[in-house]
Amino acid sequence: MNDPGKEISRLAFDERGADYLLAVREEYGNAGPAFVAKGEDVGDIRTDIPYQLVTILRKIYPYMEDGKIAVVIRRCEEKALNELIKRGIIDGDRIIRIGLACSEGQIEACRCTDPVPSCVDIGSPGKGWNEDQLSKELSAMSSEERLDFWVAQFRKCNKCYACSTNCPVCVCDHCVLEECTFVAEKGIPPGMAFHLIRAYHLSDKCTECGECERSCPAHIPLLTFRKMTNRDMKDLYGYESGDTETVSPLLTTLEGDLLEEEED
Amino acid sequence: MTDFKPSILAFCCNWCSYAGADLAGVSRLQMPPNVHVIRVMCSASVKPEYVIKAVTQGIDGVLVLGCHIGDCHYLTGNHRTAKRIPLLQKILDEAGIDSRRIKLDWVSAAEGEKYQKVVTEFVEEIRRLGPNPLREVRF
Repeated sequence: MNDPGKEISRLAFDERGADYLLAVREEYGNAGPAFVAKGEDVGDIRTDIPYQLVTILRKIYPYMEDGKIAVVIRRCEEKALNELIKRGIIDGDRIIRIGLACSEGQIEACRCTDPVPSCVDIGSPGKGWNEDQLSKELSAMSSEERLDFWVAQFRKCNKCYACSTNCPVCVCDHCVLEECTFVAEKGIPPGMAFHLIRAYHLSDKCTECGECERSCPAHIPLLTFRKMTNRDMKDLYGYESGDTETVSPLLTTLEGDLLEEEED
Repeated sequence: MTDFKPSILAFCCNWCSYAGADLAGVSRLQMPPNVHVIRVMCSASVKPEYVIKAVTQGIDGVLVLGCHIGDCHYLTGNHRTAKRIPLLQKILDEAGIDSRRIKLDWVSAAEGEKYQKVVTEFVEEIRRLGPNPLREVRF
């Protein structure tokens, strides 16, 4: 297909029966999210999506009472969507997926190990990376060197909350990072606790989309930290986020039975 | 470092470990005085955030003590703890904080001697590790 926009709208509205389409399009020289109803002009749809559409889907979903929503998703967004469906935040039956394979440049930016969505509609599948160079270097360091590295990195943080705002799987209603118990109200940088708490909270749902790193104005290598935490989770419990069936090991007993529901 | 006096937090669950600590005290067992005991209703109510906050603010070691698996007053509370703390240790390790500064153990209400043993060994281990490097770090 030479025009991906036409192809996406054909797939969404004609072939798969969607009522709305969520994609990224170009308007007045800027790329922005577009929410198009059936029958409207889709405009100049872009396939180099600059951020996570699932984050936007999650934020508009509570206001969408009916209708099927088609979303253009890459592999990381697909995994994030699965995590949201698993946690009951989004009804999976109402979402229609249009798979988009990442370009080489995007794969390189995320050091992505798993770039191909389960159903590729647009683009050609690229090859994933094997390993994140920085996390390899960090693992080879002594623990003092590693601490020095992260302290220097986390000192750059200006507590803008971009990492948690743009995160597709940051789903709590009340964020503990906004409580003064854990992160001081005044003063920047917020300290090491901010980032360690985020690492712990995302350990069973991070999909390694790299949005935290890309949106960080201080260029803290957060994606590397996420990758290291995910690797730990895999080593400890053999758990990988990103499907609708596997329950997070933090929500099961030692024998693997489901814990009772937590009440708010 | 001979004059290093580690400061250690011990989260003890109300039903087992706190009673165990009490028993150790009533039995006049000798223990290092570096441990600050915090009573919590269950080891699962020790949010990992609390442990992270303690460590990043310069506490040298954190002990999380709960009932033995199967004896939890809330049935599966300590299962949660048993899943969380190893993960937390790994995350702290990735950030460069020695995971031995966090310890999870099970002490029942009848195990005053075990409480003494756990505390003594943990204080000894922290003394070997030295002060928490984050105590000196100013953010």
